[in-house]
Amino acid sequence: MSEENWIEVGSTDSIEEEDLIRFDHQDKTFCVYRLTDGFYATDGICTHESVHLEDGLVMDDEIECPMHQGIFNIKSGEALSPPACEDLKTYPVKVDNDKIFIKID
Amino acid sequence: MKNNIIILGGGQAGIYAAREIRQNDSKSNIKILGEENLLPYERPPLSKDFLLDKKKEEDLCFHSSDVLNNENIEFENISINKVDFENKKLFAKNGDVYSYDSLLISTGSENKKLSLDNNLKNDVYYLRNLEEAKKIKEIVSNKNKITIIGGGFIGLEIASSLSQLQKKVIVIEIGNQLMGRTIPKKIADLVQNTHIEHGNEIILNKQIEKITKKNGNYEILLNDNSIIETDFIIAGIGSTPTVKLFENTNLKLDNGIVTNQFCETSIKDVYAAGDVSNFYHPFYERNMRLESYQHAQNHGICAGKNIAGVKTEYTSIPWMWSDQFNLNLQLTGICDEYDEIIERGDDINNGVIYFFLKNNKIRGACGVGTIGKVGRDIRITSKLTEKDTIVDKQILSDQNQKLNKLIQK
Repeated sequence: MSEENWIEVGSTDSIEEEDLIRFDHQDKTFCVYRLTDGFYATDGICTHESVHLEDGLVMDDEIECPMHQGIFNIKSGEALSPPACEDLKTYPVKVDNDKIFIKID
Repeated sequence: MKNNIIILGGGQAGIYAAREIRQNDSKSNIKILGEENLLPYERPPLSKDFLLDKKKEEDLCFHSSDVLNNENIEFENISINKVDFENKKLFAKNGDVYSYDSLLISTGSENKKLSLDNNLKNDVYYLRNLEEAKKIKEIVSNKNKITIIGGGFIGLEIASSLSQLQKKVIVIEIGNQLMGRTIPKKIADLVQNTHIEHGNEIILNKQIEKITKKNGNYEILLNDNSIIETDFIIAGIGSTPTVKLFENTNLKLDNGIVTNQFCETSIKDVYAAGDVSNFYHPFYERNMRLESYQHAQNHGICAGKNIAGVKTEYTSIPWMWSDQFNLNLQLTGICDEYDEIIERGDDINNGVIYFFLKNNKIRGACGVGTIGKVGRDIRITSKLTEKDTIVDKQILSDQNQKLNKLIQK
């Protein structure tokens, strides 16, 4: 994977702990999370119906869709609770000099 | 011990109970008896994405037959017409007999019907199952002016979908507000405005006196003598628990099958879950009957645990949603026992929520907003309710302050 695939999202202090920010890049929406043990990234749209997860609730390692309460594991993307049944895509994240980067395919 | 467990009713509560039993009991036979010739499926899309062709029939099932086979859960499409609780047997219309050691009744609920003259019985449509949704979808494709009788969730969701299909829609509601059984008037009024902005006509406080067929169309006479001309009629006027099968038995019925907090009925080894059950809720210290997606699922899971011998109280805080146009409406807890109402937000684009408090604790909340705007706060509200937290009303009422602050860790 080439270096260009790491995209800068923002600074580490732009996300509060147990919270997320939305990040749009080339027609795609991502969510970047700050959990107690680090930063994570997933697709930004629920796999159940097209609603932005940025308005969802982050609790422990889970993001809950604000529309129908489908729940996903933020680290694995696994769909944990209906109506969500399709997993959420996850992306690698790195922090360099207090900046967050995500690697997009 | 290997038991025969029968689940009567092939809906959401039934399938979730079956899978939960299997999680805790690898040996027993588990059989779901369903009246529809389709594995348990999701009903919420029927009035929305299915009518709008965004979801197909094959997208609706909760689980494929592979999942059921892997977990050794049988599903049989059969109609039961007699129950013998004393001898633990169910009798099918075709003469088959099913014996059980434990029985879960998850027969759900059915639509109330309008009292109509016989010649109109087949002219008014209702929506609960896939077959009905298919019929409505096919017929409305050739109709323009559609009247919906009943301004509850199902009627308004259909009204929203048909409007998006460019139909002229009229909703007639007998009460003085939409969704009057469960939703505060201020929220109902916001939803009503959205319908009107999209061209739907909402008629409140009117009763239907008579429906007359005229040249393949219909005339609906209202109690103020006005007449609505329409091409097609759909009614959504509420539902009743499906309990006819048990009416002449010892099973205790009262607005559904009466169950305790463990999903147990008045008869040993007989459980009930989902829409059909009027259950005791230990948190609210009263019985209630709910018709919602989340309840059907969680109550089914709770019944499954208890049937498998894992004694578990049902304490889930009620939650439901409705999607109409670009709005998502959500309700949590109960909104009819309160001494104070607190309002959060005043713009539907950012979400408006009403909290219902008693003794400074939240009993329930109802909110509406552009899709995504009330869900997080409503979810936090459910958690605050469940934890019986005394809340800071200033934070509740200030949309600039996050509700997460109120959750005590």
